[in-house]
Amino acid sequence: MRKILFALVASIFSFSAMAGGHADWFKEAGAPYKGTVLQGVAENTPPGQFAGEVLAKEFEKLTGIKVQLENTSWDQMYDKAIKDMEANSGIYDFVYIEQDIVYDYLNRDFLVNITEGLANNPDLQAPGVSLDDFTTFIDYFKDGSGDVFGVPMEAFIKVYLYRKDLFERADAKAQFRAQYGYGLSPATSFEQYRDNAEFFTHFCAEQGMECWGTTVQGHTGHPASTYEFLESIAPSFGLYNWGVNMDSYQSCVENGGQLNGGRAKAALNFWTQLLPFAPPEALQSTWSEVGSSFAAGRAAQGWVYGENAAWIATDAEKSAVVGNVGVMLPPTAPGVMTQAASGNGYIGYYDGGAYGIPHSSKNKEATMLWLQYVALNEHQADWAIAGGRITHKDTYADPKVMAVDEQADGYFTLMRDTGFLYAGAPPFPFHGAGRGAIDPFIYSALAGEMTPEEALDGACQALDTVMADLGYQN
Amino acid sequence: MLSKNKTGWLLLSPTILILALAGLLPFIYVLYVGFFQWNPLAVDPSLQFEGFASNYRRLIFDEVFLESIWRSIKFSVVTLTIELSLGFILALSLLSSFPLKSFFRSVHTLPLVIAPIVVGSIFKLFTVQGLGPLPHILKDYFGYTLNYGLNADQAFWMIVIMDVWHWTPFVTLTLLAGLSALPQDPYESAKIDGANNFQIFTYITIPMMVPVLIVVIFIRLMDSLKIVDEVWMLTGGGPGYATRFTGIHIWKEVFEKRYYGLGSAMSILYLYITIVICWVLYSVMVARGKNED
Repeated sequence: MRKILFALVASIFSFSAMAGGHADWFKEAGAPYKGTVLQGVAENTPPGQFAGEVLAKEFEKLTGIKVQLENTSWDQMYDKAIKDMEANSGIYDFVYIEQDIVYDYLNRDFLVNITEGLANNPDLQAPGVSLDDFTTFIDYFKDGSGDVFGVPMEAFIKVYLYRKDLFERADAKAQFRAQYGYGLSPATSFEQYRDNAEFFTHFCAEQGMECWGTTVQGHTGHPASTYEFLESIAPSFGLYNWGVNMDSYQSCVENGGQLNGGRAKAALNFWTQLLPFAPPEALQSTWSEVGSSFAAGRAAQGWVYGENAAWIATDAEKSAVVGNVGVMLPPTAPGVMTQAASGNGYIGYYDGGAYGIPHSSKNKEATMLWLQYVALNEHQADWAIAGGRITHKDTYADPKVMAVDEQADGYFTLMRDTGFLYAGAPPFPFHGAGRGAIDPFIYSALAGEMTPEEALDGACQALDTVMADLGYQN
Repeated sequence: MLSKNKTGWLLLSPTILILALAGLLPFIYVLYVGFFQWNPLAVDPSLQFEGFASNYRRLIFDEVFLESIWRSIKFSVVTLTIELSLGFILALSLLSSFPLKSFFRSVHTLPLVIAPIVVGSIFKLFTVQGLGPLPHILKDYFGYTLNYGLNADQAFWMIVIMDVWHWTPFVTLTLLAGLSALPQDPYESAKIDGANNFQIFTYITIPMMVPVLIVVIFIRLMDSLKIVDEVWMLTGGGPGYATRFTGIHIWKEVFEKRYYGLGSAMSILYLYITIVICWVLYSVMVARGKNED
């Protein structure tokens, strides 16, 4: 919060600097829409908070257009946005489009074509905003002809975070070597990850510390657990696109898929076997709780979403592990890194989202101005620091971002240099239905009600039924 | 007759119109959609008619749906039994005077004014593993591990406890109102005839309270059969299917998986089952009441 307040003050000062740049244009372009209230809905994440608390206020001051951004929980965000767009009620002028749902939205023609909208209204095209300034993440929000339907506002990778202070302790190193026969270090293989997890769980207990060996995003009643498995653990074992055969839309091995294949089962076994070494809250943890647990010093290592990495590493008000956070690529199975580098696979999830305009919006022109304001280069550095996200190529080289990068053990550099190894969700228009079919099986495997093998056999059958039901199978 | 009541109908018409628009039309729409296969995520997102009974036939063989109904009924019976018993005891206690009675009655009523989603949040904060105080207390003082993210039975019973905490005050207050309004003559006659307290309770209080009990049972039964919010916040329906009550199941099918046709059929079928349960219960209670008369 202090960071956001600081950014607010800083941005007010920088406001006058910007006035010489694009402020006059926005003031003039926004004049016909003065008094308009734009309503938006997004997930309550650090980048979303920055947009609502900093950028929206600046924009209103400049143009007289009020932006009311409703930052809410992930479930509520989808619920509200989709119901509004389905009913064509026009409550929201802009909605958050997470990368994994964009195919669904495009398929259902929910969104305004921003490229076309700006081309048809040259008066609305802001100087200093170019879609070429964005990283390749913007490609996820384009249709087949390259038109943009969403302006990226956050993008980050899911990285391996570890506690430097724990891994560098001399007594821990000596004890680990004596116990496992090799040196203690951040994990580059799954065996090492498991050993680290087991070791630190016991080590912390012996030292009287409230910490465990690993995070597990294992909520047994929330899709966050399915996402951690399908988007992070499974790809690092070499299982891509949920194990779905992209030609036949089958996921069971017997039908040509891989969701219940050897790699998937190895991945789920590995992941569920980490539970004894995870904090007790693991089975009720979504991505937010995993970030909070790590920040509270309750885990020695873990897969953590990048939107949390920056604040965990730098915000002493919220994080107990500032200065002690190490960042690396997560461990992968042999061959996976090569496949990812050659574009035939990926090692984890390139997450993020964009703001898009529903067809039902009653203020499309004013919203286009707002989205272009959000896309201005000037805001990107402060936004990256507040939210650990980068959507513009030049942001990596900003001195402020580079300073935070140093504190965060090179998180931004890692994202810039290795982002290409990651991928967004597979292009499934049936994403929600498919994931919903898999969820109960992942929950049951985590709760120990099913073995990983039984769970994946059941999950692939349920997913195949959904894909057949919806008419995707050949 | 109709012309005689013209003014009455005229005065009622705004209400009837609002009820028709807000209740009847959506119901007819849900009934209509329930006859179609409709999922906007499908290759063909339009409504597909595959016979009037296609969704209903599918539901008859849908184990997850049927199990969710059974789970909901089990939950309703358990909570209703506990809430009625506790509520009756508390209502009887509040009839007599004791120190701090008004304070207790006020505190006891507080959960009633809390929204279900907030009740779920309170319980989550209080009971979540690792962070909530209750698991710590149970572990440290009783050696008991509470982890309803892992243990299906604990998850079910935690929701029962939450529901009892939230709704017992309603039962208490309603029964208290009923008890306070009972005529005193039968009690005096019974005492003169030498009846003891147990006999008075079973042969006088309970039969006279039947109308109030019927109201309480129906309100609580219908409420508990459609529980969603608190469960959504506390367990999300997990672990696995352990707390996936029918309301949660329908929500997931309709809003996560977008099976609008099937979800509508589920809602209609579940409504029908709820009506049947209530009708059977009502018939039994009324018949018993008549027999006792």
